[in-house]
Amino acid sequence: MKRLDTDVVIIGGGSTGLGVVRDAAMRGYRAVLVERVDLGQGTTGRFHGLLHSGGRYVVSDPGSATECAEENAILRRIQAGAVEDTGGFFVTLADDDPAYADKFLAGAAATGVPATEISVKEALRREPRLDPRIKRVIEVADGSVDGWQLVWGAARSAMAHGAQVLTYHRVTKIERDGERVAAVICRDEKGGEDVRIDCTFVLNCAGPWAGQISSMAGAREVAVVPGRGIMIAMNHRLVNTVINRCVYPTDGDILVPVHTVSIIGTTDIHETDPDHLPIPHAEVQQMLDAGEAMIPGFRKSRALHAWAGSRPLIKDSRVSVDDTRHMSRGMAVIDHSQTDGLAGMLTIGGGKLTTYRLMAEHIVDAMNRQLGEERPCTTADEEVPGSEDRRLYTVTHRLHDREADRLDDQIICECELMNRQMFVSLLNEQPDATLDDLRRQLRLGMGPCQGGFCAARAAGIACSEQAIDAERASGLLRLFLKHRWIGIWPILYGQQVRQTALDHWIFNGTLDVEHLPQPEEEIVR
Amino acid sequence: MSKRQDERAKELRERLNNELQRMSLDMCVKCTICETSCPVAPVTPLFSGPKFVGPQAERFRDGESVDHSVDYCSSCGTCSVVCPQGVHVAELNSLARAVMKAEQGVPVRDQLITQTVLMGKAMTPVAPIANAVLDNKLARIAMEKIVGVHRDAPMPTARTQSLHSWLKKRPARTKPATRGSVVYFHGCAGGYFEVDAAKKAIEVLEHIGYDVIVPEQGCCGLAEQSNGLFEKASASVRKLDEQLRSAGTDLPIVSTAGSCTGMLKHEAHEILGIHDPELLDVGTRIREISEFLMELYEADELPTDFRPINMRLPYHAPCQVKSQGMGTPAYDLLRLIPGLEVIDSNVTCCGIAGTYGLKKEKYEIAQAVGKPLFDMIKDTNEGLAACDTETCRWQIEKSSGVTTVHPIVLIHQAYGLGDGE
Amino acid sequence: MRDAVVIGAGLAGLTAALRLARAGRSVTLVTKGPGGCQLSQGTVDILGYTPDRVTRPLEAVAAVDQSHPYSGIGADRVAESVSWLRDELGPELLVGDPAGNFHLPTAVGALRPTALAQPGMVAGDAVGGRTYAVVGVRQLKDFPADLVAGNLARSKAPDGGSLGATVAWVDLPARRGEADPTSLTYARAMDDEAFAAKFARAVAAVAGEGDVVALPAVLGVRRLGVWRQVRDVLGREVCEIPLPPPSVPGLRLYEALLGMVRAAGVRFIQGNRIVGFTPGDGGIESVTLAAAGGARHLKAASFIFAPGGFESGALDVDSHGRISEPVFGLPLTADDAAPLIPSVFWGPHELFEVGVRTDDAGRPVDGSGAAVHDNLFVAGGIIAGAERWREKSGDGVAVATAYRAADQITGGAR
Repeated sequence: MKRLDTDVVIIGGGSTGLGVVRDAAMRGYRAVLVERVDLGQGTTGRFHGLLHSGGRYVVSDPGSATECAEENAILRRIQAGAVEDTGGFFVTLADDDPAYADKFLAGAAATGVPATEISVKEALRREPRLDPRIKRVIEVADGSVDGWQLVWGAARSAMAHGAQVLTYHRVTKIERDGERVAAVICRDEKGGEDVRIDCTFVLNCAGPWAGQISSMAGAREVAVVPGRGIMIAMNHRLVNTVINRCVYPTDGDILVPVHTVSIIGTTDIHETDPDHLPIPHAEVQQMLDAGEAMIPGFRKSRALHAWAGSRPLIKDSRVSVDDTRHMSRGMAVIDHSQTDGLAGMLTIGGGKLTTYRLMAEHIVDAMNRQLGEERPCTTADEEVPGSEDRRLYTVTHRLHDREADRLDDQIICECELMNRQMFVSLLNEQPDATLDDLRRQLRLGMGPCQGGFCAARAAGIACSEQAIDAERASGLLRLFLKHRWIGIWPILYGQQVRQTALDHWIFNGTLDVEHLPQPEEEIVR
Repeated sequence: MSKRQDERAKELRERLNNELQRMSLDMCVKCTICETSCPVAPVTPLFSGPKFVGPQAERFRDGESVDHSVDYCSSCGTCSVVCPQGVHVAELNSLARAVMKAEQGVPVRDQLITQTVLMGKAMTPVAPIANAVLDNKLARIAMEKIVGVHRDAPMPTARTQSLHSWLKKRPARTKPATRGSVVYFHGCAGGYFEVDAAKKAIEVLEHIGYDVIVPEQGCCGLAEQSNGLFEKASASVRKLDEQLRSAGTDLPIVSTAGSCTGMLKHEAHEILGIHDPELLDVGTRIREISEFLMELYEADELPTDFRPINMRLPYHAPCQVKSQGMGTPAYDLLRLIPGLEVIDSNVTCCGIAGTYGLKKEKYEIAQAVGKPLFDMIKDTNEGLAACDTETCRWQIEKSSGVTTVHPIVLIHQAYGLGDGE
Repeated sequence: MRDAVVIGAGLAGLTAALRLARAGRSVTLVTKGPGGCQLSQGTVDILGYTPDRVTRPLEAVAAVDQSHPYSGIGADRVAESVSWLRDELGPELLVGDPAGNFHLPTAVGALRPTALAQPGMVAGDAVGGRTYAVVGVRQLKDFPADLVAGNLARSKAPDGGSLGATVAWVDLPARRGEADPTSLTYARAMDDEAFAAKFARAVAAVAGEGDVVALPAVLGVRRLGVWRQVRDVLGREVCEIPLPPPSVPGLRLYEALLGMVRAAGVRFIQGNRIVGFTPGDGGIESVTLAAAGGARHLKAASFIFAPGGFESGALDVDSHGRISEPVFGLPLTADDAAPLIPSVFWGPHELFEVGVRTDDAGRPVDGSGAAVHDNLFVAGGIIAGAERWREKSGDGVAVATAYRAADQITGGAR
């Protein structure tokens, strides 16, 4: 068994875990993060991409509103490459109560969330696809944020400060030394060996899986209530501004322009198993209706992909389990030394991506207190690697870059304008990665053709770069197509049917990928 | 960028965001059919092709124009014609270019070469002088330097008599009309530069029994539109609508101006975003002349007592005729003439694409686009070729040395109507 | 009035128009785009999997079940129709015997069964013991030579024998100043004899061991026989491997067929859709073309509808999951997509089997089995009953059903 020794092990490679590992490393702790799959594959990568202005909470949750407004400004500074300044509108639709806008404006003033009412005419000039019957519009500082860029930015920052980030390391056991946590045992899924990490502290940031982790340490299982929400990415930016409905937060009330797509979300259904989140037909239809209410013609525009994520809400006795939206979205920290008599372990739940840095600050503060350390947080003051120029992302970036280099390099994913050099340099950095892992950082196969034209190219390049052999390349190609399908079939209608038919023609007709020789064991990671 | 340019670019971008063209990018399945049909991409890597600059780039556009290579698109419209899924590729490109030009300001050259009527009117009274100037090499070099029109680019030949002055002077017709009236739309070329074809069109229509009304008429604005001058183009096409409607609102409108017909049928609507009922009315009634005659033929109403013309005739169908989605009616019509072996060029584009091939930085590209066509024409018949639109005819004549006429000239001859001059 | 209007310019529409014109009929061929040939691989598949690999396609055709498009046509007429097309196109474009399948390498290194192929492809037929010298072109992103060779080397030929493969790359830009040419850019460059010779020499310099030099299918688009020129330089057999779109072999077939169709006097109208029809006595009087400037009504005695299937939008699914055929409103084998869409990717996709059911004459029928319109025939991908891409039957279905429809109209049917 391989052995490592560190101060703190962070379990979970979502935004909470990455925020914490960065924060701990910047305070001088030796830190190791372990994640059972790839970074940002859970809740962090499965949301609508909204960087909250705080507007959403000015009435329902004033504390969160203020936090969001402050953290929004910080992230634009330290992680500019992951953030787009889209701006946001809270819109009173024809059938919504116009009086809510007054409550909203009062709440915004009270919570310090910048908000200005603008004329309907001005809003329609800027977003001409909005239903012209809208009654009131309030402008806020919403943005959009790429969760994967966010966590990888934090990971690179943490590593620059000496932390280790171990993906595909599944926790199998947490060892105690009497009343203290002593070590975390992981399975290195790719290397095929066990790894023992001796440590003095464990931060359980496993989100919806936090309950499973806490029970491994012999603590009482933390009751996590996964609140499932579905999202649908539409083929292009139907709007360039975040559109929220100006009503008390409800289902299907937000449309976010993220990169080249716009994402409609979301629902909130209580689930039991975060590993199996369905995308029910009825909820897809509900989202399409919600989109149609904001943007007439929405149902005729093209859906590309759907996904479900689960909010990692820790059970709060103040509200019933079936109504997770009204639980506080502030984070919850369980100190196992107080609940289970187990020192050196905290479990974190709840929270929002927008406030992930602040949550990490609170968590590491709590660890400091238990360890009796005085180490101040500095995460708000330093840009993550790649964002030093503080240049905010804009949707035109890649078009601009390809305009400059397209005569010198091949474009591999044409829909998302990813060139060969981008792909090869990440592949060389992460030669064990699956095509999906590379996809999340590069947007490979995330455009209209959903991999139809680029997936085989990517597998071929991986093979030619000698990162992998033909058997693994073929296995990864098959796996990629299998995974893409999970998000395609629930929204298979309209234009995407024609695309899917053409993709089938290419993969099953022309290339006959289905009849490539199969390895004895299917390649799954 | 001036404030006014900024405002115009913004306005165009906002309109584009909400238009049918942008929604049509949802139809794209990346199938590459537009790429394979594009006439520009095969001759220069500088143009990244219609799929790239069209539905692909459009998903990345918001506000500023960052992909100036869209200007290498010649606006021939072939991509939209061949797209099996109905993406308005060329229209997306035209709008993207209009946004870019509004941001950058339009070069003097692009404003000048779009003024087709002014040019015609200015040149007609002084035709020999104007022609001498256009033929004068030194003058053309100066023109290239000052306004950016390539020294070897084709230029129309001015005529000594405009169509309307011919109409005023000609004797009253003797054969009575048996089929009612049609309105004839000659376009700028027919009015000023290619008066002969216009006269012959009128004589053919009269020969088969129509009374031909020729109202005063201006420019359709197509050249302005293809250079991104949308405001001017809209004003031109609206004025023309009025003029054509002045002759009657229920008559067929027949035209020998193939590309201008396309402007009235669909481009003004799809690219300029004009939705006036007047435009719709004109666009619905107008027929390109071969289309009109083939409709008669399909209904067994066209006299086909053609005299034989024993010749191999290369025929080129212009992009802007093909983009009307009516097939190649001139080719089908000419094939009805006994003895005439009509050879379709099977080449996508002659390269000129309106005014694209006039520009000094595009001239070489346009010549390369058209080269297979020029070769094919020379190989087929060194003496005569046929093509439906004027700028394409000028391009073919200039580059191949082969006299190129409107197909109606051959129909006129086959009906035995004399040489018309 | 025309004898027939054919809608669609894929393999089915072109075959139907050519067959009708050859019988002296006046035909208008109307299509939105240039059809699916250039999205295909430029071969004529008859049947490749049932789901087991098929080596004798006509025998497999004879055994299809009643819901399959081939049922009611029969193996003999399938053989007759594809042989007719092969002979029309000639041996520079299509060779093979409908009775037997080739197994040709694909651009990921799988072995794909097909009955008729282009002459530059067939040396790649996978027979036991064959070795391939795969040669990629650095500038061409759609031919991953390492993946192709690696997969061929770990494949067994259908006869059970093993295969071998080596890999090499040439670095040869199709034109100066371009890093990312399409396969068509290469093919156009190869139309120039001098470039093809340069390419052949570059390949000769690097190609590894192997009986057959396997190359991307870019060996000329308008100039046929470039493969022969390359073969002669190499002194070894070559095989062209079709790439994803744009398919150069597909374009060769399309341009040849369209040229033949037009030369035979067919009116060709491209660029707009047929959007509806006008009924007449006992059938359809005209179809409506949405041309620029308004509707045009194309009259004919008979109509052949060959618009493709879901890939072209000829079969539509709306956001509620309802399947429809929007032009004629033809009855379909299913109208709700949701239950037909599988949640797992690898396996059958029943949605793509949905389409129009026909009588033995090739006319769409309603639930009772009666023809919907007496003079409307369908051909190709619109017909229900086969997941054409998976079983490799799309081309054969297109040709056989188009041939049947044309012969019904001319009275040439048996």
